[in-house]
Amino acid sequence: MTGAPEQRNVKLTSSEGTEFKVERDVAEKSVLLKNMLEDVGESDMAIPLPNVTGPILQKVIEYCIHHRDDPVPAHDDDTKKTDDIDDWDAEFCKVDQGTLYELILASNYLDIKPLLDLTCKTVANMIKGKSPEEIRKTFNIANDFTPEEEEQVRRENEWCEGR
Amino acid sequence: LAELLNTCNTEQLVFVSNYISPRLKRDFLKDLPIELSLHILSFINDPKTLSRASSVSKFWRSLLNDEFTWKNLCVRHHFRRRSSAAPELPPSPTSETPSSGSNKFSYKDHFRRRYIVETNWKHGGRTLITHISPDIGVVTSLQMCQNYIIVGMDNKKIHVFDVSDGKYIKTLSGHEGGVWALQYIDEVLVSGGCDREVRVWDIDTAECKHILQGHTSTVRSLKMKDKTIAVSGSRDATLRVWNIKEGRLLHSLAGHQASVRCMEICGDIIVSGSYDCTARVWDIVTGECLHVLQGHYSQIYSIAFDGEKIVTGSLDSTARVWSRQTGFCLGVLQGHTSLVGQLQLYESILVTGGSDGAIRIWDLDTNRCVKHIAAHDNSVTCLQFDKKRIVSGGNDGHVKLWDLETGDFIREMTTAGNAVWRLAFQETKAVVLLQREGKTVMEVLDFDAQKS
Repeated sequence: MTGAPEQRNVKLTSSEGTEFKVERDVAEKSVLLKNMLEDVGESDMAIPLPNVTGPILQKVIEYCIHHRDDPVPAHDDDTKKTDDIDDWDAEFCKVDQGTLYELILASNYLDIKPLLDLTCKTVANMIKGKSPEEIRKTFNIANDFTPEEEEQVRRENEWCEGR
Repeated sequence: LAELLNTCNTEQLVFVSNYISPRLKRDFLKDLPIELSLHILSFINDPKTLSRASSVSKFWRSLLNDEFTWKNLCVRHHFRRRSSAAPELPPSPTSETPSSGSNKFSYKDHFRRRYIVETNWKHGGRTLITHISPDIGVVTSLQMCQNYIIVGMDNKKIHVFDVSDGKYIKTLSGHEGGVWALQYIDEVLVSGGCDREVRVWDIDTAECKHILQGHTSTVRSLKMKDKTIAVSGSRDATLRVWNIKEGRLLHSLAGHQASVRCMEICGDIIVSGSYDCTARVWDIVTGECLHVLQGHYSQIYSIAFDGEKIVTGSLDSTARVWSRQTGFCLGVLQGHTSLVGQLQLYESILVTGGSDGAIRIWDLDTNRCVKHIAAHDNSVTCLQFDKKRIVSGGNDGHVKLWDLETGDFIREMTTAGNAVWRLAFQETKAVVLLQREGKTVMEVLDFDAQKS
């Protein structure tokens, strides 16, 4: 395929109606958009993304541009490690929890598996190695156990503590 | 709003910040759709974090009781549910908090149990029972199966113990010479030894059903194909195939020029290793010799066979890998500096133990030694491995536990003695037979979850 036509831009509209122009290969990092574009074919119509706000869409596009040349990940569900996050990705995820939360939802909706994994790993890393109280503090969660329940949970979990 | 904040002093800003920052936090697991929450949890692979997380709130607790999470964890820790072919973990005697579904399988419980067992292997467990025999019998053979621990001795005795509590059950007496080989399948025990006889026992009644005669010298190796067919190998250089149900000889396999030291059966194929430096492949049905495996320069002491590959260990300090189909030698495994007396083969992993005190782990896809462990000060007398660990016993009296993957030493399994005769282990138990302070000692170790 020599002389491939110049990449067409794809227009995306965020929930507030802000329009974003991205190159097609960037948009196709999203399986949802890839499928849509394949279905629709050549079109100048903007694709509405009512579930994604402008700032979040901006972040997602930033991610997709940085990773535009990444190989398509092999179908391998065994990459469950959380210590394989590179510097750029780690920096990318240094956002407030609300943004991180929205990014998880957006990457799930747009079906961008590497971004979904990255954001979920980031949350997993926020949980790891913390005491229950530290976890509550991290995520602002109220302890809604009664003292009796708390004691019961403590006993249930004895088996993996102190070993 | 910015203007308003501009008018605030530091104290007020701290107040605002403290007021606002919790609001910027999200209870991800609660707020996200459940499949995404579980996706997050799937990145956590240490049980400690998961169980701590389950103490955070009611919602987190309910989420962490999700089977998916624990199944995931089981898979990642290789705590797979045993197939029916392998012995299932016996029901835990300490099944605490009776789950409302009574016998419903729970991955969380399964994980917890397996995790405790694993931890106990590493640094816990207990000695279930210790038998100290007053006489100094040499232990020649050992089998640990679902119900029994069976011990063959050079003092003509075969002792049977209960695998669940390690208690002595009975002794099978009858052999007129030392017992050198035995195997047990489904209440049928076959044994052989110095008296040249093969005996078939009903273990339940301790009755000797058949005395099979024919060998003209010590029976040195013995394997059962099933409850009907057994094969014995002897110092008289022959192998004999027996119908042990009816007590009659089916085939006498002649060809070896010296003692048949070791043997394995897989399907309808027998492989035998001999002091004549060769191994042979036989058809159990026809009694035909299919291949003579030539190459070792010295006696063969050990053999392993998985149906495809045959591995032989020799006094020439090598192990050789052979094709059962063609009889060709596929590889010569060099590294030991003395007799290769112990072998176990599983999938593409081979573990060998030598009289040089070394354990070597080999990858049979490449025929390369992947780990060399200086394990004992003296001969490795016994070893066994599973997917996680190797347990070895040596003539130095030590019983040692090793990590299969890294080859790292984990710990000594028991107080050292003068020499270790035999050992065997299953998922939650191990049995060790050794000489300690001049006495024959049997120890049963238990790694199962205990009531706290």
